[in-house]
Amino acid sequence: MAAGKKRMRPGEFVTLWISRLVIWIVIVLTVLPMLYVVTASFNPTQAYFSSSLIPSQPSLANYQALFQQGQFVVWLRNSTIVGLSLGVGQLLITATAAYAFSRMRFFGRKNGIMFLLILQMFPNFLTISVIYYALAQWGLLDNLWVYILVQMGGSAYNIWLLKKYFDTVPRELDEAAVMDGAGHWQIFWKVVLPLARPMLVVIFFFTLIGSFSEYILAGTIIQSASNYTLGLGLYSLIANQFAKNWGEFAAAALLSALPLTIAFGLLNRWIASGLVAGSVKG
Amino acid sequence: MSTGHMSLGHKTRKRGIGGKMQWSAYGYLSPALITIAIFSVVPTLLTIVVSFTNASAIHFTNPSFVGFKNFADLFNMNDPLAQVFIPTFIWTVTFAAVSTTLNYFLGLFLAVLLNNKNMKESAIYRSILIIPWAVPGLISILIWQGLLNQSYGQINALLHTFGITDIPWLVSPFWARVSVIMVNLWLSFPYMMTVCLGGLQAIPEELYEAAGIDGATFWQKFRFVTMPSIWKISLPLLIPGFAYQFTNFNIIYLLTAGGPGRNSTQFAGYTDNLASAIYKMSLQFSRYDLGATLAVVLFVLVGVFSWINMRATGAFQEVD
Repeated sequence: MAAGKKRMRPGEFVTLWISRLVIWIVIVLTVLPMLYVVTASFNPTQAYFSSSLIPSQPSLANYQALFQQGQFVVWLRNSTIVGLSLGVGQLLITATAAYAFSRMRFFGRKNGIMFLLILQMFPNFLTISVIYYALAQWGLLDNLWVYILVQMGGSAYNIWLLKKYFDTVPRELDEAAVMDGAGHWQIFWKVVLPLARPMLVVIFFFTLIGSFSEYILAGTIIQSASNYTLGLGLYSLIANQFAKNWGEFAAAALLSALPLTIAFGLLNRWIASGLVAGSVKG
Repeated sequence: MSTGHMSLGHKTRKRGIGGKMQWSAYGYLSPALITIAIFSVVPTLLTIVVSFTNASAIHFTNPSFVGFKNFADLFNMNDPLAQVFIPTFIWTVTFAAVSTTLNYFLGLFLAVLLNNKNMKESAIYRSILIIPWAVPGLISILIWQGLLNQSYGQINALLHTFGITDIPWLVSPFWARVSVIMVNLWLSFPYMMTVCLGGLQAIPEELYEAAGIDGATFWQKFRFVTMPSIWKISLPLLIPGFAYQFTNFNIIYLLTAGGPGRNSTQFAGYTDNLASAIYKMSLQFSRYDLGATLAVVLFVLVGVFSWINMRATGAFQEVD
């Protein structure tokens, strides 16, 4: 290994160390805010306005308070219901459409996805005036299931992702199934879908993770605290009596962000490593 | 993803089952098409309808059509509504343009630094720098709201140790705007960095070697080899990025709630963009007509940008 090592020119050496220095500074700026949240979550109340990363009197008081009041568990439950429903719903809605775009002949096949993508460049949350107005007239506000339903639209982007993945499933497999007397439904259900499992997992999790960052529709539809999602709950913690709640907020933010961040990191690595993109290409 | 693979798929497709129109395809499409119609198309059409009415708390059950009145008010400088709309519109465009540009160039800059073959530990740096992208945006924006608190936040506490006195981060109009852009930069640069790194790694090494033989300097290599290749890959992402920042609700509402407020109007604060103004119009002031009108304006703008993007880059086009 040492034999293959090339000696750097002085210019390269200087460039490398200046680059490192800049990157270290950016890393500090990236990580420091997150570390402050960890510190704050272990700091009991009244220990504010400290730039130290080590809690002055470390304790689990904030975490205890969070669970004693019980509201955090309610938020977590609601957000989990929303995330799981939307993830499953998105798969049910987009899978058959992606199959049609990948394997069938019909009018609109060529430009259909492009048309839907342009249509969805305008996100439906910007129509909240109408959504709120209509739901208020029908008396459907403040209902978690209505909140889920409003977001149940098929995503053109997911159809596109899944279609591209279906395209990589070799057509020889379709033909073999046709020999055995299979129709489109059997090919979809027994051949293509099982082989597309990695991409289904990706779409499910990205939908689930994305649902945790939704605020505008939640704020529009949900009103009572028992229906709060994590987003609404965290916002209420920090918007009211900031100084009193900062520690608890930090604990809640940390507990909810950690699993989602890890899930995202794993998924991202999985995609980057080509496991999803090229696994069945051969 | 290569063209070779695509053409192979094309060839075999002809041998697949069914050479002619298949009506059952619409059955397979129906779950997606029906839900998109109900939850995207119908609300959008209704929004256009409502923008021509006076639907509000006063006319809750009996709204009537008012023609182009709402749109005329929006651009009439003597109307109080224009005093909300025009500054909010300018800030929306400014924020989207400045934010997208900064996010992109920081991402590109870091990608170039990380793509140094002498930097053996580059992968470690990359996985650390990706953290802001991985944390759910809603949570990290709320965290920043706390950290930037003028009296209790750790950012001012930290600046104190360097002898800098309190900065009114989310309180003064200027600093609130700076905060919004800085926090958005923190959130968004990892994505841009990742995309640019992908582009950089796709550039063949021979191009740099050839340029080196021709006596090109570091800057010339960057300008004539790196930039053209990167540009080709990142342009299709830059324009949707701009369209996304245009309708970015979370970064505004969760960080500053649109504040600080203006003296001239209660409807929108100094950092309110059109998306957060729609939210306030509808929920705080029950002016569904004005919320819908602002949404139609945004709809037209986003439509124009998306169209330009699709034409310019040919993204999402089917090769068939």
